This record gives sequence, structure tokens and C-alpha cells, in this order.
Amino acid sequence: MKVEAVALSDASKALSFPETVASGVDLIEWYYTQGFSDGLPVVPPTGEKIEAVVEILGGDPQYLECRIPPRWGCLTREVLAINMVMAGCLPEYAPVVRAAMLALADQAFNLNGVQATTHMAAPLLVVNGPVRTRIGMNAGCNCFGSGNRANATIGRAIRLIMLNVGGGWPGDLDKSTLGHPGKYTYSIAENEEESPFAPYHVEKGYNAEDSTVFVIAAEPPHSVTNHVANDPQGVLDSICSAMSTIAHNTAVASGHCAVVLCPEHALTIAKHGWKRQDIRSYLWTYSGNPFGKLAFENRYGKVYNRNLPAWYKRDFDSRIPIVPSPENIHLFVAGGTAGRFSAFIPGWGNMSTPVIRSIDGGNPALETKCIDGTCAV
Amino acid sequence: MSIRPQAVFDPRGVVDTAPTPLAPRKTALTGLRLGILDNTKWNANKLLRGSIQPLNEKFAFGQINYYRKESFSRLARPELISEIASNNDVVLTAIGD
Repeated sequence: MKVEAVALSDASKALSFPETVASGVDLIEWYYTQGFSDGLPVVPPTGEKIEAVVEILGGDPQYLECRIPPRWGCLTREVLAINMVMAGCLPEYAPVVRAAMLALADQAFNLNGVQATTHMAAPLLVVNGPVRTRIGMNAGCNCFGSGNRANATIGRAIRLIMLNVGGGWPGDLDKSTLGHPGKYTYSIAENEEESPFAPYHVEKGYNAEDSTVFVIAAEPPHSVTNHVANDPQGVLDSICSAMSTIAHNTAVASGHCAVVLCPEHALTIAKHGWKRQDIRSYLWTYSGNPFGKLAFENRYGKVYNRNLPAWYKRDFDSRIPIVPSPENIHLFVAGGTAGRFSAFIPGWGNMSTPVIRSIDGGNPALETKCIDGTCAV
Repeated sequence: MSIRPQAVFDPRGVVDTAPTPLAPRKTALTGLRLGILDNTKWNANKLLRGSIQPLNEKFAFGQINYYRKESFSRLARPELISEIASNNDVVLTAIGD
């Protein structure tokens, strides 16, 4: 693997690029040799396929959508289309991929840091609104897993852009110690149809008819099993247990995290009249770690931990919340209708702020901290 | 079988930003104003504070100013960068992971 990583890195520095290669050349293998793959075979782009994507994006192939750090390559519509075709996307996925890249390029998200960190964080994309069903995203059974073209290739296109345009090649500008499987693709939709609650984007002030992308720099999902509880407290106590460890990055570096409730757990909670705010408040109130645990009880010297808010008490017995506020727990309902497995998804830390962005354009009715359709949440 | 060449496409996008050149190097340090930029990494402050005394004994700086970023990963505030640039001749920083 190390040999491959070095080869990819060197290839990305090539200065010239041919317009054609000889007939008979195996293009899949050719793109491998150029170093433009995430490790899996790419779909060789054709002019026709690229044009179809650019047209959906509004034409003007040289239009600059944004720059992608840390290489700061220009993501024009044509380059976006090339990477989408390589990933296996259909043209109608283009508005979702574009909105995701604009959200990631927002300064609040700090994609530069996410790309370069030694931590394993990868951007998790959650899609809300009618676009989910229009393009056939999977919000149900095995939504984090394989088997759905839209989920798989939208996430893959984002990663290819982060590699090819952003230069986040492992071992070069991506210094992640371990990485995680979501660095191939990490894209789901909320299961609004099976959720007893308002959709996530409605909670954030958008209309249900709006379609949005939400991005958070995240660790992989941690499964939370509970097959016995018939009340909100029981289900949520299991999630609190998953949250209340010093082993994930949110515990030590604060910031934001996500919780994905499976439909069965969500229904159990909803039957008792609880709403999103009740769930987030419970999770925030009854999770956490004593500061002494985070400080290793000063075994290795006195610890203050400057990544935690200044207003936390630093006594060994003081409770340290996992995130500074219930608002920093981003709650979704997703997954199949059978099974009582939810998930806790730690974030990277206070170094990155999640971003929600409208796919259709426009700002939410209730949100005021938005610039050009992008809202740091 | 087609004998025409096959079109290929570059997925990287051009880099159109000019690299920022390094500031001119100082040839001597004695009497200069030293800025210390602590990036808030876990051990950066220990490393930097521990470096101040031996460096000062060796070079006798005219002034030493200590600054702190709000987050090790995020950009420093523009006002902080301006302040450091205005009030220091050389700057010392470290990752301190």
C-alpha cells in the first residue's frame, strides 16, 4: 500500500496531460497509472457523459464552483463532472454533489484540516428532502452499507474530488493514521418516510419541500443495540453509554457529533410524546465523562485540555459533556424498519463545524446565520 | 475495432493561486522581537514555553511576545496575524502533538 500511495502522490504532480491515448489502451488501467483512483477502478469519462453532467449544473464548463484544499485545485463544473463520471454517478446526482462540495468548501467546515489531520475523520453527507427519492438514495435497510448506486457514487465522487482536486492523497497531504472505510464513500439520506419526527432540515428551518445536504467531519458509526427498552429513557441510555467514553475524538476535542436513530427506536421514543429537542436534551444531559477520566487523573502531568470550553469546571468529579450544547448533537432517523440498532457517530472536534446547504438554492425561513445558501450549524 | 485515439480527461483542476514566498531570512537574532505562536495543540505550549529561556540565553532577544491561536487546525484570526506581523521580527511556532 505504501508503494501505491507514493506513486499516486508523484502522479498528481505531473505537469502535462495528453488529450488522447492510443486506441486499444485499457483506460481503466491507464487512469490507475495516472494516480487518479481511490483504489477502485474508475469509469473512464467520455465527452458525452461529462457534457450531460455539465448541462444539469447549468452549462458553462469552466464556471468555478469552489477551490478544494489543501491543494486548492479549481473545481470547475467540468472537473466536477469528470470526477462524477469516474465515480459512476448518474447526471441527475450532480446538484447533490455540487451542494456537498460547496458545503465542504465553506470556511466553517475547515476542509483543509479535515483532509490533512492524523485523525480518521471523513465527511459524512446526509441528504434531506424530495431529492432523496428523486434520485433513488437509500435511507433504509443497510443505508451506511453497500448496494445503492446513489449513496455509493455520490460519496465516492466527493472523495475523488477531495483526492484529485484537493490533493488529499494518503501519505502525502492526508496524514490520517488509520483512515476509515467511510473515506471511500460516506453518504446517506434521512428516512423521512419512516420517521415519526420532523426531518432534520425542517428542524433547522427549511421547508419540508426543500432538499438539503448536511456535512459533518465524522468517525465511523458505532452501533448501539437495545432490544429491551420500551421507553425513551431506556433507548437513549444505551446511546448515552456509547457516547460516554474518552476513546472518541468528540469526548476530548468537543465540537459536534451525530446520532442516527433506527425507525424502531424512533417509534418507541415518539410513542411517549418526545420530540427532537427532548431527545437531544436527554442525550446531552445524561452523557459525559468526569474530568478526572479525561485528565488521566494527572498521571502524566496536570491537564487542562484547551479544546474543551473554558467554562467547564476542571475538578476531577466535574461532569464534562460530550458536546457543549444539545444543539451540537445532530439527530437523524435512518435505517431499515426491522431491528433495534441505532448509531452514535463521533465528530472530529471543535476544529470543524458542520454545514447544511440547500440543494435547490435559497436560505431557510428560520435560519439567520446563512451566507449564499450555506449555513454553519 | 476502432482505430481512433481515445480521449482522456484530467480530473485535477488547475491551481491558480500563487504560492506565498518566504519572508527574507534574518542573519542575526540578537535584540530582535521574538513572537511565540502557540497553536493550542496538546503539547505545543509546553514545548514553546520550554524553548523560551534557552533561546533567550543564547540570542538575547529585545522582546518576547506570546500569542495563542483559538484552534490548532483553524486559521488564525486576521487581526492576530496582523498583530504578530506588526510587533515582531521573527516568530517561533511548533505543532506539539
